[in-house]
Amino acid sequence: MRLASRLGGAALSLVMVAVLGFFLFRVVPGDPVVSMTRGRPTTAAMQAELRAQFGLDRPLHEQFWGYFTSLLRGDLGTSFTFRRPVSDVILERLGPTLLLVGTSTVIAVGLGLWLGVLAAWRRDSAFDRTTTGVSLTLWAVPTFWLGMLLMMVTGDLFPSRGMRDTDTAPDFLSQALDVGHHLVLPSLTLVAVVCAEYLLVMRSSLLEEMHAPYLTTARAKGLRDDLVRRRHAVPNAVLPAITLVFLRFGLVVAGAITTETVFSWPGLGLLFYDALTGPDYFLLQGLLVVTAGAVVVMNLLAELLYGVLDPRVKVV
Amino acid sequence: MLELRNLSVHYGHKRVVDDVNLTLAPGQTLGLAGESGSGKSTVAMSVLRLLPRTARVEGEILLDGEDVATMSWGRLRAVRWAGASIVFQGAMHSLNPVQRVGDQIAEPMRLHGTRGSVRELLHRVELPPEKARAYPHELSGGQKQRVMIAMALACGPRLVIADEPTTALDVVVQAQVLAVLKRLVAEQDLGLMMISHDLSVLAETCDELAVMHRGELVERGRTREVIANPRHPHTAALTAAFPVIGDPAHRWAEPGRTAEPLLEVRDLTVDYGRTRAVDAVDLTVGRGEIVALVGQSGSGKTTLARTIMGLRKPSSGRVIFDGAEVPRSGKALKAFRRQVQLVLQDPASALNPRHTVRAAVAEGLRVHDVPGDEQSQVTAAVEHAELRPASLYLDSLPHELSGGQQQRVVIAGALVLQPRLLVADEPVASLDASVRGEIVALLLRLRRELGLASLIITHDLGLAWQIADRVAVMHQGKIVEQGSVEQVLLNPSHDYTRALLRAVPQV
Repeated sequence: MRLASRLGGAALSLVMVAVLGFFLFRVVPGDPVVSMTRGRPTTAAMQAELRAQFGLDRPLHEQFWGYFTSLLRGDLGTSFTFRRPVSDVILERLGPTLLLVGTSTVIAVGLGLWLGVLAAWRRDSAFDRTTTGVSLTLWAVPTFWLGMLLMMVTGDLFPSRGMRDTDTAPDFLSQALDVGHHLVLPSLTLVAVVCAEYLLVMRSSLLEEMHAPYLTTARAKGLRDDLVRRRHAVPNAVLPAITLVFLRFGLVVAGAITTETVFSWPGLGLLFYDALTGPDYFLLQGLLVVTAGAVVVMNLLAELLYGVLDPRVKVV
Repeated sequence: MLELRNLSVHYGHKRVVDDVNLTLAPGQTLGLAGESGSGKSTVAMSVLRLLPRTARVEGEILLDGEDVATMSWGRLRAVRWAGASIVFQGAMHSLNPVQRVGDQIAEPMRLHGTRGSVRELLHRVELPPEKARAYPHELSGGQKQRVMIAMALACGPRLVIADEPTTALDVVVQAQVLAVLKRLVAEQDLGLMMISHDLSVLAETCDELAVMHRGELVERGRTREVIANPRHPHTAALTAAFPVIGDPAHRWAEPGRTAEPLLEVRDLTVDYGRTRAVDAVDLTVGRGEIVALVGQSGSGKTTLARTIMGLRKPSSGRVIFDGAEVPRSGKALKAFRRQVQLVLQDPASALNPRHTVRAAVAEGLRVHDVPGDEQSQVTAAVEHAELRPASLYLDSLPHELSGGQQQRVVIAGALVLQPRLLVADEPVASLDASVRGEIVALLLRLRRELGLASLIITHDLGLAWQIADRVAVMHQGKIVEQGSVEQVLLNPSHDYTRALLRAVPQV
């Protein structure tokens, strides 16, 4: 029953996302065809042809119905700039983004939660002050600036543009090593920037649990300090961090616009940037639907996982 | 077995335990009594060196001749739970909320390599074996407390320290838990040190009694003798604070009050889904009358109170206030709520920790757009609640006040709206014995001076005896008996009332 209502809620959110994706770019002032052809000499006839081609001459409700039904079939329309189906363009960029943002998010979550636990456990120690201070500084620093700084500091040690070199041997191992090599700087930037979020959430959440009576019970039983922490404090303190982590996982698909732009990483973030500069309405619409959809799905997963981790929450 | 020699504990410059000497032999039961802040829990925690690092401990804590204070960490961990264990207040958060209780009971056995089975331990505290798979939130307060006791016995310790083991439990469950504890201590020849603010609980359980006051041990002796002939004035104050049902000296309400009805509840039924929480209840509170609604937790008394206040819609039945049916919505409901104010059990959580006394008390005035000078109304309410002079308290934050003062702030917040009925849910349950008497006296004085009627919801029959004109006994959603205090508490006609009265620990 509860599961059904959660699923229903998620489905409703997805529909809202689809509706919003359509109307958001329709209420923006300006004519898509005019902006699409900006800077190029066009006649009224050519514009009318483009309108007809993208179905922009039909009434709004017909456009929406067409958009909505094709969305259900997985068809996100055709990109102005690429002249290809939006879904193909997005799919092509999904891999690089998942690789970069996925890897960095997993590392940042792991590192952040772990450092957060240690910092809280040794509250106000030199370790706590240093890790909290450093990660907060990195969090505050502009991403593009940090990326460029890393490029300058590391010099030629790591490549700073793109995902692979053109002259790498085609076998899997060389390709993988090459991609890994390219991955170092952008992922380092991302980890450095977002790590603080998890660290701070975990730290404050554990600090709240530190005086919980059940920890005194655990100590009185004769448990070593690290067991008190691992078995009793952390499983409780990690709960508030779960939602945050999964929301972040949902945003993985959105890519990291700044980082991908700075390092010319061929992912969805860079695609977002390109679509915005276009502006490519159908592509933007498609990106919005995909990324928002991912957040909704991950949020649902977080709620289900919450039910497993916290017996007080009954999900299923 | 346990010997404390010249034990002192300091936090910074604050001395919370001052030169305490105590001994406990195997098979002996010792009660340690005192109010909050008397240092009794600090003594208990020091036995297993569980105090926070900021605590400075002086003197010797000998457990079987070995000084706990100088033990190595490894030795200390070995002694914890296997040599001496603690029964914490299980109704609070002493159990890990995300672990099955069976695992929590088994944990010390695995850790110390002792033999035993969770099943057998649960059996000893009279819980069915399948409860091992339950999480703490799936258990009632009494069941959680039994789990705590089972856990404490897991490694066969010779000394058990019980820290407020029955606080927050209602009388019937308290009596059951105390019975289990007493039986186990007798069966296994354990030493028991029991800590409580409630002398009657200690009197039920312990042969010996020690009384602490402001960090010092002020009295020690056989329980019966200490209670019958207290030598220290503080002991006397503690014994006097707990009302004895039937003792006219503890009956503070002025007798002989007849009143026309202010609040009438007629045939009221409230359902939660399929559960009938309140079942066809009739109840009347007269003008200026104090009515005690007593019953165990889960009897439906809180639901009844919430429905009376218009916080819940009844399934059927009527609530009539001052001759008119209580409105269900809109302005009229708001106006009604102004006349009926709520006082909750735990003032610390009822008050917003970031609001000053002035803000807390004035909030009601703002919500109801009461005309007139806010400052003078707030001052008057605070002084009515006996926080005098008001100027001393208006800018204080809750944490700067004692528990009793906090409860007065809550009462002032109710008084400022000049209500005609106070609904108080366990108004003194979380207060110390000495403060409790003051709050009871305050409620009675408010009735005398302002004609304020009260509906007091409580599981504490002693409180009913002290304060109420009439008592209504609630059981499984029904009012099983109601009448004057003397009639209900001295000549109960219903079996359930008799069972409740039997469960009250006797000093």
